[in-house]
Amino acid sequence: MKNRLLFIFLFCAAAHAANGEKILRITFQVAETGFDPVKVHDYYSGTIIEAIFDTLLTYDYLARPAKLVANAAESLPEISADGRTYVFRIRKGIYFADDAAFKGRKRELTALDYAYSFRRFYDPRHRSPYAFLFTGKIIGLDELAEQAKASGSFDYDAPVAGLQTPDRHTLVIRLKQPDLNFSYVLAFPLTGAVAREAVEAYGDESPSHPVGSGPFLLKRYTRSSKIVLAANPGYRGKLWDFAPGDDPRQREIATQMQGKRLPRLDGVEVSIMEETQSRWLAFQRGETDIEYQLWDVAPTYMTDDGKLRPEFVRRGIQLDRTVDPEITYLYFNMQERIGEAANPVGGFSRERIALRRAIAMSYKVDDQIRIIRKGQAVRAEYPVPPGVAGHDPGYRSLIPYDPRAANALLEKFGYRKGPDGYRRQPDGAPLVIRNASTPSERDRQFDELLKRSLDSIGVRLEIQKERFPELLKLEKQCRLMTRMAAWIADYPDGDNFMQLLYGRNINESNNACYRSKEFDRRYEKSRRLADGPERDRLYHEMTRRMEVDTVWLLADSRIRNALQQPHVVGFTKHPVLHAEWLYLDLAPRPGD
Amino acid sequence: MNASPGVWLLAWRRFERDRLGLACLLVVLIYGAVMAAAAAGWIVRDWSEEVAVTYAPPTFLGPEAPLGAPAAAAEAAPQGALEDYGIPDPLADDLAEIARELAGASATETRAATLALGADKWGRDVLKKAVKGTETSLFVGLVAAALAAFLGTLFGALAGYRGGWIDDLFNWLYSVFTSIPYLLLVLAVAAVVNQKGILTVILILGLTGWTGIFRLIRAEYMKHKAREYVLAADAIGASEGRRMFVHILPNVSHVVLVQLSLHVVLFIKSEVILSFLGFGVGVDTVSWGSMLAEAQSELILGKWWQIAAATFAMAVLVTAFSLLTDALRDALDPRLK
Amino acid sequence: MLAYVVRRLWQFVPTLLGVVLLVFFLFNFVGGDPAYLLAGKISNPAQIENIRRQLGVDQPYAVQLWIFIKQIASGDFGASWSTNERVSEIFATRLGPSLTVLVPLLAISTLLAMAAAMLVAYLRGSLTDRAIMIGCTVGQSISILVYILVFQYVLAYQLGWFPVQGWGVSFAENLLRYSLLAIIVGVAVSLAPDIRLYRSFFLDEINQDYVRTARAKGLSEHRVMWVHVLRNAAIPIVTNILLQLPGLLAGAFLIERFFGIPGIGREVILAVERSDFPIIKAVTIYVAVATMIVNLAADLLYKAIDPRVQLK
Repeated sequence: MKNRLLFIFLFCAAAHAANGEKILRITFQVAETGFDPVKVHDYYSGTIIEAIFDTLLTYDYLARPAKLVANAAESLPEISADGRTYVFRIRKGIYFADDAAFKGRKRELTALDYAYSFRRFYDPRHRSPYAFLFTGKIIGLDELAEQAKASGSFDYDAPVAGLQTPDRHTLVIRLKQPDLNFSYVLAFPLTGAVAREAVEAYGDESPSHPVGSGPFLLKRYTRSSKIVLAANPGYRGKLWDFAPGDDPRQREIATQMQGKRLPRLDGVEVSIMEETQSRWLAFQRGETDIEYQLWDVAPTYMTDDGKLRPEFVRRGIQLDRTVDPEITYLYFNMQERIGEAANPVGGFSRERIALRRAIAMSYKVDDQIRIIRKGQAVRAEYPVPPGVAGHDPGYRSLIPYDPRAANALLEKFGYRKGPDGYRRQPDGAPLVIRNASTPSERDRQFDELLKRSLDSIGVRLEIQKERFPELLKLEKQCRLMTRMAAWIADYPDGDNFMQLLYGRNINESNNACYRSKEFDRRYEKSRRLADGPERDRLYHEMTRRMEVDTVWLLADSRIRNALQQPHVVGFTKHPVLHAEWLYLDLAPRPGD
Repeated sequence: MNASPGVWLLAWRRFERDRLGLACLLVVLIYGAVMAAAAAGWIVRDWSEEVAVTYAPPTFLGPEAPLGAPAAAAEAAPQGALEDYGIPDPLADDLAEIARELAGASATETRAATLALGADKWGRDVLKKAVKGTETSLFVGLVAAALAAFLGTLFGALAGYRGGWIDDLFNWLYSVFTSIPYLLLVLAVAAVVNQKGILTVILILGLTGWTGIFRLIRAEYMKHKAREYVLAADAIGASEGRRMFVHILPNVSHVVLVQLSLHVVLFIKSEVILSFLGFGVGVDTVSWGSMLAEAQSELILGKWWQIAAATFAMAVLVTAFSLLTDALRDALDPRLK
Repeated sequence: MLAYVVRRLWQFVPTLLGVVLLVFFLFNFVGGDPAYLLAGKISNPAQIENIRRQLGVDQPYAVQLWIFIKQIASGDFGASWSTNERVSEIFATRLGPSLTVLVPLLAISTLLAMAAAMLVAYLRGSLTDRAIMIGCTVGQSISILVYILVFQYVLAYQLGWFPVQGWGVSFAENLLRYSLLAIIVGVAVSLAPDIRLYRSFFLDEINQDYVRTARAKGLSEHRVMWVHVLRNAAIPIVTNILLQLPGLLAGAFLIERFFGIPGIGREVILAVERSDFPIIKAVTIYVAVATMIVNLAADLLYKAIDPRVQLK
C-alpha cells in the first residue's frame, strides 16, 4: 500500500467527485446485459432496474424476515375474500424522469403505466425470461399472447378482463386462481413501471435508455465497463422511517438515519470488475465504498469464527453479515429411465432409496463449507433458507454424515463390490453415477468433493461436462442423473422453494423430476395458507417426505459478508432488495 | 534403399559431440522413466490421498493455522431422537441395526501440518501431484504429437506427391482449419470427440495440430517427387505408394522427427490452456495443466506452492525437450547452425 | 499475376463455405441450445418454443444456412442473443481496446526481439549467443497462464504498481494506465519465441551467397548487417507478423479476460459461454476472411520481392 506511484494517486484523486458530491462507488462481478425490465435475466441488470423504476410494492428496509410495504402504491393492496382480485391505488404526484420522449411535458405515473408494463411480459417478441412471474395468472393476457403468436404482433390496447384501470390512479388485477403470493410479484424489481412513449421511442435501444420514476436515473453508460447513475431530481422523495429489531446494528442505523429525506446520495458509480483480486484491491485502496462479492478472499479479512479481522476493525471497516436466501443441493433424478437407458438412482424401491441415502450420507457438507466456500456458508437442513418466510431454524435433517454406516447400508442391500473395487447393482449390473457440471474451475471443485465422497463408499463416479446452456436444456428434459444445483429466492416466501419439488413443475423448476402424491397433496394445501404454524406443519411433513425418499442432499446456504468503508452510513444488506442505495448515506470522507 | 545409412550415423556422431544435447536427452529420458513408473503404479500410486491439512505449507515455511471452522453447529453431537412428523422412514430399522453394529469404533485421522512441497486445498501432496502430472502431461504431449505428425505427414505426402484434386482437397481442409479461431476449433473438435478424460485432450490437440506439419511435409514431397531417385524408382515399376512411403519418406524423416519433437513441447503447453478452458483431464487424474488451473484461486490467498511446483516441473522438461530438438536439428542439418 | 490473384480470390469461396459449414455444425449440434439459458430460471416448453422461434432456430437447417450466407454477404449478423446489442456495434466498440493493447505490444516486442536477434546472430556461436538462446528456451517453457497470474499477483496486487484490471473512458487513460501490464505480459511471453525465430531468419540471410560476396567486396560487417541482412530479413519478419494478426485478435482472450480488457477475445469467450451464435458467427467469418486476405497478401509480397519465387 505504501508503494503508490504518484500518477496512480493522482488518478485516484481525480476519481473522487471534485465538489463534495456524494457518489457511492461499487462494483459488479458480472457484466450487465441491459436495463429494459422485460429483456433482462441477470441479477446485476436487475439491480440497476430496481434503482431506476418504481414498483407498486417494496420491502421494509429493516424488517426481518422481509416484509412488504407500499412503494408507488398508496398502501398494500385490497385483496378480495376469494384471493383473486387485487386493487391498488397509485400515489398521485409521481413523475417519470424528464426525457425527450415526453416532448417537454412532465409525465405523471398512472395505473395505465403498470397495466402496460405487465402486458409487455406477455409479448412473445420480448421472450422475457421472467414472464413466469405473470404467465397463467392474469385473466385474459395468456389468450392475448396466443393471438400475438398467430398474428405476429401483440395488441397493447385491447381491453383485458384481468387488468383494469377504472381511473388513472386505480389498478384492478383479476387472477385466474387465488394466489396468496401475488403481492411478492409486484415487489419484484422487474415489475416496475415503464412509460409507453419512452419504450416506443427507443425501440430496440430500450435496454440502454431506461426511463423510470425511481430515485435514480442513468447518467452515463459504457457497456460491460461502467454504469453511472445520478439522483433523479424529479423523484418524489421518501422519508427514512423503519422500526429496528433487536439487532444492535439495526438500532445504530435507525439512530443515524431516522427521519432523513431520501435519497441522500447524489449518484452511484458502478464498475464492472470480474476478477476477485481487482475488487478486493480496489476496496482496500478505498476506491470502492461497499463490497459484498469477496467470497474467494474471505480468509484474508475474516477470522475463523466469523468476525472481521482486527486490522480491518481498526481501520473502521464495517461488516454486515447475512445468509443469502438460497440453497445449494445435490439432486437425484427420480425417474425410472433417463432417455432410453435405465436410471440407476431413480425410483422408490428400498434398494434405490438405500443407494441415494448412502450417497447422501457419504457427502461431507462441512468440507464443502470449509474448503470450497472458505468457511462462508451455513449448513442447509431445510429447503427454506434463513430470512425467508417459513424457515425453521429448529428443524434437523434426517440424514447424517456417516460414510461407515453408508457402506454398511450398501452392503446390506446387495451393492457388492466387483473385481475393480467398485460396487455393482444388486442384480450384478455395473453401477455408475453420472454427475453433470460445467467446465468451470468452481464446478471442478464440487466434482472433486463428490468423487472423494463416492470413493469413500466404493461407488464409481463419472463426470458429464456440458456448457451451461446445454446443461439447462438437458436438466429440463430430465436427462441428467445428478447435479449440484442452487436456487435463490425470487421472493422471500417458502413457497418459492417448496415448488421445486412439486410434481407439476417437472420440466420446469423441479429438476429432480420428482413426483410424489403425498408431497403434492400437502404442497397444494400449503399454497392456500399464509405463513404460520399450520403451513409450517405441512412444510415439516413435506421436508421429511423428501428426506425419506432422499430426493435431495441439501448442502449449504452462502453467507454474504458486506464490507463498507467507515464513511458509509446506514447500510445493511437486505435479503431481497439488491439496490439499497436509496436508504443509505455517506459521511464526509476524510480529506473532503 | 535410398537414404544412405550414413546420414543417420553421421547425425548421431554429431549429436554425440554436443554435450548440452546429451544432457537434455538424459533429462528427457528421466522424465520418460518417471512417466512409465507412474503409469505402472510403481510410484505415486497414492497421489490422491488426503494426507495433510488444507493448504498445508511446504515444510521450510512452517505450519499455519487452518481455515475457518464451519459456521453450523458441531457435527460431532450425536443425533438425538428426531421427530418423524408422521412420515416413517422405510430404512429406519436397517439404519438402527447398522448403528448398533458399528457402535464404538470410530477412525480418527491425523493430517500432516506440512509437506515437502506443501498440499493443495484437499490436503493432497503437491510433490506427488507434480510427479503424477508428469505422467499425464508427457503422455498427452507424446501421443498427441504422434497423432498430429501421423496426420500431417500422411496428408502432406498425399497432397504433395499426388497433386491435383487431392492437393486441392487437403489445401481446402488446411485453409478451413487455420482460418477458424483456435478456441472455436477446439470446441468443435471437443464436441465431435465427446470422449472421456485424457483421450479427449489428445484428440483435440492432435486433430487441431496437424496443420503445421502438413504444410512442411507437403513442400518436401513436392520438392522430392521430381528428384532423380524417385523417377528411377518409377522406371523400375515401383507403385505410387511404395514411392511415397518407402523411397521418399526416409528422406524427409528428419523433418518429421524435428516437427514431432517441436509439437511435443507445443502440446504440453497447450494442455495447460485447455485445462484452463475446462477441456482438460477429468477429476480422476492430475496434469500440470489442472494444477495450474487450480492455482488461480489459490494465489490470491497467498498459496503459491502448487503453481511453483507445476511450473518448475514443466519448465525443466520443456526446456530440456526444446534444447534437445535444437540439438537434433543441428545434428541432422548442420548448415542451419 | 492478375490471373493468380483472381484464382486465389476464387479459392476463398470453398474455404469460406467450409468454415461456414463447420461453424454451423458446431453451433447446431454442439454449441448448446441458448433458448434454455435465455428462458431463465422457470420456463415451460411453450416459452422455450417461443424463444426458439424469436431467435429463428426453429426453422429447418437449410433455411438457417441460407440466412447465414445472406448475412455474410451483407456483413450484418443481427443482434446478440443475450444483450440485444447489434453485432456490428459490438465489434466496432471492442476493436479499439483490443488494438490499444495489441499494437503497442507488437511494436515493442518486435523491435526488442529484432534487436536481440540481430545481436545473437552477429555473435553466433559465442557464449553470449548460447546463453541468450538457452535463456529464451527457459522463458518459453513457462506457460502464458503462469506469466499472467504471477505478474498480476506480484506487480498489481502485491506491489500496487498497476491496476489489477479494468478499462477507462479516455484513450490516454486506457493506454497509459490499464493496458500497461497487459502489454508487459504480452511482450514477456512473445519475446523468447520471437528472438529464436528472428535469429533463424537473420542467420538464413547471413548464410546467403550475397553476404559472402559483399564481405569479399570489402563492405564493413556493420554495413552488411544493418543494411543488407536487416532489409532482407525484414520481409519474413513482417510477413510473420501479418500472418499472425487475425489469430492474435481473437486469440488474445486470456490476456483480455484476466486484465478485464473489453476486447474481441473476451467477447468471444463470453459468446461461447452463453451460446450466443450471432457473435460466434461474426467472429469466425471476420477472422476467416482476414486470415485468407492476409495469407494472399503475404504470398504476393514474397512474389513482389523475389521474382524467383514461383506462385503455384
